[in-house]
Amino acid sequence: MVEAAWLIPAFPLAGFLLLLLVGPKLGEPRSGWIATAAMGGSFAAAVTTYIGLLGLDAHGDADNDRQYVQTLFEWVPAGDFQVDIGFLVDPLSVTMTLFITGVGALIHLYSIGYMHGDPKFSKFFLYLNLFAFSMLMLVLGDNMLLTFLGWEGVGACSYFLIAFWFDDEANASAGKKAFVTNRIGDWGFMVAMFLMFTTIGSIQYTDIFANAAGISESTATAITLLLLVGAVGKSAQIPLFVWLPDAMAGPTPVSALIHAATMVTSGVYLLTRMNGVIDVSASWAPTTIAWVGAATALFAATIAVSQNDIKKVLAYSTVSQLGYMFLAIGTGAYVAAIFHMITHAFFKALLFLGSGSVIHGMDNDQDMRHYGALRKLMPITSATFIIGWLAIAGVPPFAGFWSKDEILAFAWEENKLLWAVGFITAILTAFYMSRQVFMTFFGRYRFADVRAEELEELAAMKVAAAETAVTEAEAGIGDAEAAVAKATEKLEKASEKLVTREAEMADADAADEKATEKATKNLDKARDGVEKAQVAADEATTAVEAARRAVSAAQAQVAHVAAASMGSGSLEFDLFVAPDLGDIAEEDLPEAARARREYHPHESPWTMTLPLVILAGAAIVAGGMNLPFASDLHFLDHWLEPTLVHPAHLTSSASVKWILAIVAVMGGAIGIAAAVMIYLKGRFPASKVELPIMAEGWRFDESIANFMGGPGRKGFDLVAWFDATFVDGAVNGVGRVVREGGGQLRRLQSGLVRSYAAMVAIGAIGLIIWFLSRASF
Amino acid sequence: MSALLLATEAAGNEAAASFPVLSALVVLPILGALLLLLLPNSRPEYFKQVAFLVSAAVGGMAIWVLTDFQTGVHAAEFQLQNSHTWIESMGISWHLGIDGISLWLVVLTGLIFPIAIIAIDAEHEPKAYYGWLLVLEAGCMGVFLALDLFAFFVFFEIVLVPMYFLIGKWGHGERAYAATKFFIYTMFGSALMLVGILSLAFLNEAETGILTFNLVELAESQMIATTTARWIFLSFALAFAVKVPLFPVHTWLPDAHTNAPTAGSVILAAVMLKLGTYGFLRFGVYLFPEAAVFFAPALVTLGVIGIIYGAIAATMQHDLKRLVAYSSVAHLGFIVIGIFSLNTEGIEGGILQMVNHGLSTGALFLLVGWIYDRLHTRQISELGGLQKPAPIFAGVFMVVMLSSIGLPGLNGFVGEFLILLGAFSAHRWWAVVAATGVIIAALYLLWAYQRVFHGPAEGDNAKMKDLTLREGLIMLPFLVGIVFMGVYPKPVIERMEPAVDALIQHVEDHVDDFDEPVANIGVVVEDHSEDETEGDH
Amino acid sequence: MLVQELPAPPVITPDIVWSALAPVIALALGAILLIMFRSVVKRMPEEYNSIATIAVGPVTVLGMWIVGGLVGNDVPLSGVRDDIGEPLFYLGLIAILFLSGAFVRSLEIGFDAAFTVGVGLVSFVSTVELWSDSFRVPVQTVNDQGEVFISEVGAPIAAIGNQYGIDGFSLVFGGVIALAVVLTALLLDAYLRREGIDGPEMYVLLMLSATGGVIMAGANDLIVLFLALETLSIAVYVMAAMHSRRAESLEAGFKYFVLGAFSSAFLLYGMALVYGATGSLNLLEIRFYLEQVVIFDNAMLLAGFAMLLVGFGFKVGAVPFHAWTPDVYQGAPTPVVAFMASAVKAAGFAALVRVFYVSFIDYAPDWQPAVYALAGLTLIVGAVLAIVQRDAKRMLAYSSISHAGFILVGVQAASTRGISSVVFYAAAYTFMVIGSFGVLSVVSGKGDRGTGLDDLNGLGSRNPGLAFALTIFLLGQAGVPLTTGFVAKFGVIGAAVEARSFWLAIIAMITAVISAFLYLRIVLSMYLGAAAEDDNEKIAVHPTAVLAIGVALALTIGFGLVPGPIDQLANDALLTLVG
Repeated sequence: MVEAAWLIPAFPLAGFLLLLLVGPKLGEPRSGWIATAAMGGSFAAAVTTYIGLLGLDAHGDADNDRQYVQTLFEWVPAGDFQVDIGFLVDPLSVTMTLFITGVGALIHLYSIGYMHGDPKFSKFFLYLNLFAFSMLMLVLGDNMLLTFLGWEGVGACSYFLIAFWFDDEANASAGKKAFVTNRIGDWGFMVAMFLMFTTIGSIQYTDIFANAAGISESTATAITLLLLVGAVGKSAQIPLFVWLPDAMAGPTPVSALIHAATMVTSGVYLLTRMNGVIDVSASWAPTTIAWVGAATALFAATIAVSQNDIKKVLAYSTVSQLGYMFLAIGTGAYVAAIFHMITHAFFKALLFLGSGSVIHGMDNDQDMRHYGALRKLMPITSATFIIGWLAIAGVPPFAGFWSKDEILAFAWEENKLLWAVGFITAILTAFYMSRQVFMTFFGRYRFADVRAEELEELAAMKVAAAETAVTEAEAGIGDAEAAVAKATEKLEKASEKLVTREAEMADADAADEKATEKATKNLDKARDGVEKAQVAADEATTAVEAARRAVSAAQAQVAHVAAASMGSGSLEFDLFVAPDLGDIAEEDLPEAARARREYHPHESPWTMTLPLVILAGAAIVAGGMNLPFASDLHFLDHWLEPTLVHPAHLTSSASVKWILAIVAVMGGAIGIAAAVMIYLKGRFPASKVELPIMAEGWRFDESIANFMGGPGRKGFDLVAWFDATFVDGAVNGVGRVVREGGGQLRRLQSGLVRSYAAMVAIGAIGLIIWFLSRASF
Repeated sequence: MSALLLATEAAGNEAAASFPVLSALVVLPILGALLLLLLPNSRPEYFKQVAFLVSAAVGGMAIWVLTDFQTGVHAAEFQLQNSHTWIESMGISWHLGIDGISLWLVVLTGLIFPIAIIAIDAEHEPKAYYGWLLVLEAGCMGVFLALDLFAFFVFFEIVLVPMYFLIGKWGHGERAYAATKFFIYTMFGSALMLVGILSLAFLNEAETGILTFNLVELAESQMIATTTARWIFLSFALAFAVKVPLFPVHTWLPDAHTNAPTAGSVILAAVMLKLGTYGFLRFGVYLFPEAAVFFAPALVTLGVIGIIYGAIAATMQHDLKRLVAYSSVAHLGFIVIGIFSLNTEGIEGGILQMVNHGLSTGALFLLVGWIYDRLHTRQISELGGLQKPAPIFAGVFMVVMLSSIGLPGLNGFVGEFLILLGAFSAHRWWAVVAATGVIIAALYLLWAYQRVFHGPAEGDNAKMKDLTLREGLIMLPFLVGIVFMGVYPKPVIERMEPAVDALIQHVEDHVDDFDEPVANIGVVVEDHSEDETEGDH
Repeated sequence: MLVQELPAPPVITPDIVWSALAPVIALALGAILLIMFRSVVKRMPEEYNSIATIAVGPVTVLGMWIVGGLVGNDVPLSGVRDDIGEPLFYLGLIAILFLSGAFVRSLEIGFDAAFTVGVGLVSFVSTVELWSDSFRVPVQTVNDQGEVFISEVGAPIAAIGNQYGIDGFSLVFGGVIALAVVLTALLLDAYLRREGIDGPEMYVLLMLSATGGVIMAGANDLIVLFLALETLSIAVYVMAAMHSRRAESLEAGFKYFVLGAFSSAFLLYGMALVYGATGSLNLLEIRFYLEQVVIFDNAMLLAGFAMLLVGFGFKVGAVPFHAWTPDVYQGAPTPVVAFMASAVKAAGFAALVRVFYVSFIDYAPDWQPAVYALAGLTLIVGAVLAIVQRDAKRMLAYSSISHAGFILVGVQAASTRGISSVVFYAAAYTFMVIGSFGVLSVVSGKGDRGTGLDDLNGLGSRNPGLAFALTIFLLGQAGVPLTTGFVAKFGVIGAAVEARSFWLAIIAMITAVISAFLYLRIVLSMYLGAAAEDDNEKIAVHPTAVLAIGVALALTIGFGLVPGPIDQLANDALLTLVG
């Protein structure tokens, strides 16, 4: 049965190759189904292996206790360094494969619906299968190098999938950021491998288990810390977590599978794998792990509180939950870590898929401020999402409660301060998750609202229009006044003429008729001129007035719109009150806003909701894996025991445990209550809680980016400049020097026979001097 | 043509053990070049076909050598040797041979040239273009096969001429400057090596009374005083450092690459840079074990500087080709630290990486060349969003790029990992620093990829032609190699291992107080190697 | 009187061995015959002229055969004759005679040139015969197993008492000079036609100076050597000035003459001092004297060395006695320059090596550093000055200086390898330089105007053949492998390294790189330089020039690929006169 192990990764690999060859031809939805089938097969294989493993003797000699190594072929046999492609089947790896394949299959199914209509439909599943393959190699590999192969493989796939919609630079950058940040961690992993090999001469896990005890403390510490660097990168802990929030740029199923359920937990897996080494390392090494975890948990939780993007909240929540797992490992509670990893895989995947379903239904809008009251519109989604919320918020009997409670208990025994941090985080978790749920599914339906930015641009438009009107009017005034001026001028000229003509008339009597007629004609002409001028003048003045009116009207409008937009706070976003449009008419609302009024949020197809339901079920019952009440209910403990050097057990008395549990529940309750007050009842303004600094993630990412873009980049430029100027400059410099020398020497070549002769003579003298210096007198 | 046919027949014929296949590898391209010279100018279309056929025949013979190559213990010795007196009075002979170290480079050379010839058409004067390419192939083959220092130097120098003309006549931009710089710079490097070679020979004669330029004899006699040997090693090292190129004598490379025609860049990157690293291994370490051990820290230091420095410089380039060129500086730095770890992992990693770099960087230059043919620019800022119109092209580029980044499962990783592993055993902290180069490599390549292939596509970029079937077929060997050597490098490694072990043994024999820097091996590996032998059948 | 007490030198025969003089006689006689004939027959009618010209072909062949027979121990090709039988052989001979006639006709060569070529060939053949036959004597050696080996070694022949003799060294140089005459004559023919200079003078002078050169290579007496050198020089002075319509040519001749005379004075004075110190002018006697007598006050002798070095240094154009070279090379008719750079230089080195290696070898520690210094200076100045020139002809002039430096590197080794490397280098350089100046003389056009770099622009597309040839010659001079140039450099550097002159070797290689830059500039302008509109028509190359350049090219590449033969030659070309 265990021999089926190789089938687990083989299925997704086959799926990948198949899609690589014929994916585009199959198109939608067939390629999706193939990929899903591959995952299903893989899951089946995993189950088979699991059953087979159960069959293996659990109480043989300590080394190959429930352990089966399957070697396929030699991979890198170089000198003493011998590494195979082989699988280590033991409780830990099998547990991992089970939920990876299980959750994976569900998410594949979900994606069929989610990616519907995407032009790169088949490519998406291609990547998804490749990812599953790499992830399985990661957990099944029987040596560190093979794990590393999976480790970097999943990194690459996550890069592909984050940048899946690469037309948008932002997505592309997010992908790159994820890969490079992970590489920093991989560096630690690599060096850890070197150190391991140079220390015990092998990186085979079985060898490591066998020889871990022999490793000197200092070396073990070094290895532990290097592995921690790797884990910190992959599992998005401080300080390398910055890539995970950006990674939400990828399609939501990716966020669910890679950036919540599986890949990001591989750091936890690695450290658990290596528990033997951590065990012999100096005591401060695990403590460091614990503190990194605790700090990350709290830090991320605070940020999650003030995110408005539904996926960003979940992203930071994931970081925070991973922090819990590190906390557990640091306190030696490997089982608790794995336990939480599994429950987290269920409810976080559920939450992400739920959010995906919401986004899908809300026309790809991810801003929770635009949701509200989706409960009725998306019943299944909301129901399942609420289950997930209760699970993560630590409400008994949902899965999250049990695992988190166990971790907190271990923390309490290790160090009260750690426990405190964990506890506060728990409160915050409950708070921000409730906030999310309320903003999304409860309260007022805000989708149709006209949005502040829209109104502002509307106002801006009106202002612009009015101002143009003003300018036109003013131009009109100008023309009119010019016209008036002209007319009056004409008038004056005409009247002058009139005078002269009349004078002529006076002394024309005596003269002959001709002159008289002429004069009269002229006189009439002049009179007409005068009249015309007057008319023109009047027209001009009227024009002027019209223009003046236009100007004033426009200005009035501007004033109003300005008032409407900037003036009163009526357009500011408000959870409970719809924006007041003032006297802005319905029809001149922007296109988008009116479209939204027509839009009807809808529930997703069954391919998407079915996984939700299943996962919800899991999120409810998963706690049953490791119930604290009686030691024979510690199924997971017993199951994982063989893979741990020193399985840790809670030593506190039952009463302490009970108190801790109750306190934890209360913590959850506090968080939820607070959220109710603020986001449901509106008793307390949200702006007091959602500090901008937290919204910006404490400016952590930003400052790193600034450093990279600023000094970092300058440094790089400096090197490039140095290369061009000095290193290359030196080369060309030498050439120049030689030519200069030539130019100087050239002077000697005067063309004059006497100077040549002189040179000969000088040379001769030189030679004679040399030879005579050798002479013996 | 007849010569060609004759050679190919021989290559097919099994019983032709007597056939001097190695000499044929060198001579056949020359004959091909002469044949081109004789072809009438009236039928230009033949030039390419003939050149391709000739180089393909050479490639075929290289494969034949590969199949003929004795694995196991014999892989340590020079096989298929072939020797004729050349200049009697100086004890110089035309002496060729192949072992596990040179084998793969010969195969690589044999495969790259036909691809480079078929992949890009000559822009003008095809006769001379293909002629020079064939001469270049002969030179490269010669370097990898020569077992006589004179012959080696002859080939090492002669490759400059065809490459000089390829850059100078068929290049772009400041081709005259680049070509001259390339020629003078590398010639300067090797000028002192000539003095070194002669000093070695004559000083050895002074000790042994025999004047010979035979590599093996010189390497085995080791009669030269330590300090002298160190000086001579330096004269060799300079030549190789320039060719590699090693920081700080690398600046000819970006200019040469940027201005060379695509085929030139491909060959320069895939084959010619290896002349330096191969030289270090075959002539530096083998002839002067003591000096190699003595100078290893210095060379490793330069290698590490090269890795970081080259990577950083690459990040800041605006020209795609220049970027790849600087990335070569970084990659070659890896190879050098691998070689001078002087242990099995390091050296084998180094040799693997020579081949890997040949595949991945060669392919990269080819792809960049195709982009240039389509859009007539290599400026990263002018490109963008190419993945939209050309998804397959982008996919292939991605795979090649990941191999060059060193993604596990692809060839680049195996080499880099072994190198760093070996280096870690020998120069721990340098290896730790060098490993950071892997991070920067990801940075500059992904950044470049993003700027070129991601984002919206405007203007001509939006109309970019996708990979044609022909181009795809040309790329196929690269991709197959990249994946195969990443997933199953064993056949490659096991053929080189005996030679590498022999080399290290040689160093240990001739350098007292030197032992191969290896991992501290507990019981672990013994029983592991047992069950691994079981796993064999 | 010490001299009486000396044991008699090993090989001295008082009487004259005419056969050994054949190469010299051929050249001298040729010169005299030509000038007499042409002064008697002022103007030949055209038809006679062409008939005579064609006749030269068969006559030369016969001449070669007969002279070869006279010189060698048996009739040339007698082996062939015995194989294929008399009648067939003579038929073949006749056929060859006709063919040669046809060949000459096809060359469209003038009578004087044809005649000179013939003379040169005869002289060459007789040299070869001497080399392969009479100069060889079988020697019996018995190895420790008692097996007997018969091997041939070069045995010197004293031609005129102990004043002039032949040995491997002088023979090789004689052969090289003879070939130089042949090639130069071919180039001259085309050149003189173009420049409209007629009259046999040029050819006569050519043969005379060659005579001087050959004698120089074999002179065993300082006076003989001086006479030979003057014969060589004076003829060349005139040849340099021969293009009387060109002011530069006249100026070149004048400068060369004045400075040449000046340096000859040094040479003569040096000889006088040596005589004063050793009481003899005969190289051998000087050597034996210096071997056996420890001179307490050797100032005079050493001063003599200095003077002699000056004289020879001038002839070979070593820095600081090189200044005349660029001006003279640029001014003189290009084929003449080819001759100067090849034969004259070669002869100069022959004499230098002979004097210092034969007579003053015991004083090597004294003169070696001086030559070392000269070599270094010459290399650097030659290379550095060359790259700042704008005129191809002048560039090559300077590069010839740096090549002289390379040969000096071989000379200063003061070892057998030094000799053979010098021989090889001189021979190799001779053909490369004749080739390059040959191409230049063709492309430079009427009046040698177009020797600037820009005039070469686009030659690659205009005359690909010429361009290719020049490229090979230049790469050869740059020392690129698979040309004789590389093997030559390899040899001299080897000699230097063997003599532990590492720094000189390094300087030499660096200057080689510097001058490579210069050769590349010429190549670049040929292939990449855009030709001006007016002069992009193909240059018509006269067949004789084609022949000359072709031969030079074939030798440069051929012996570059297979250097063995010449190398063997160079190794046999020892100063066997030295016991």
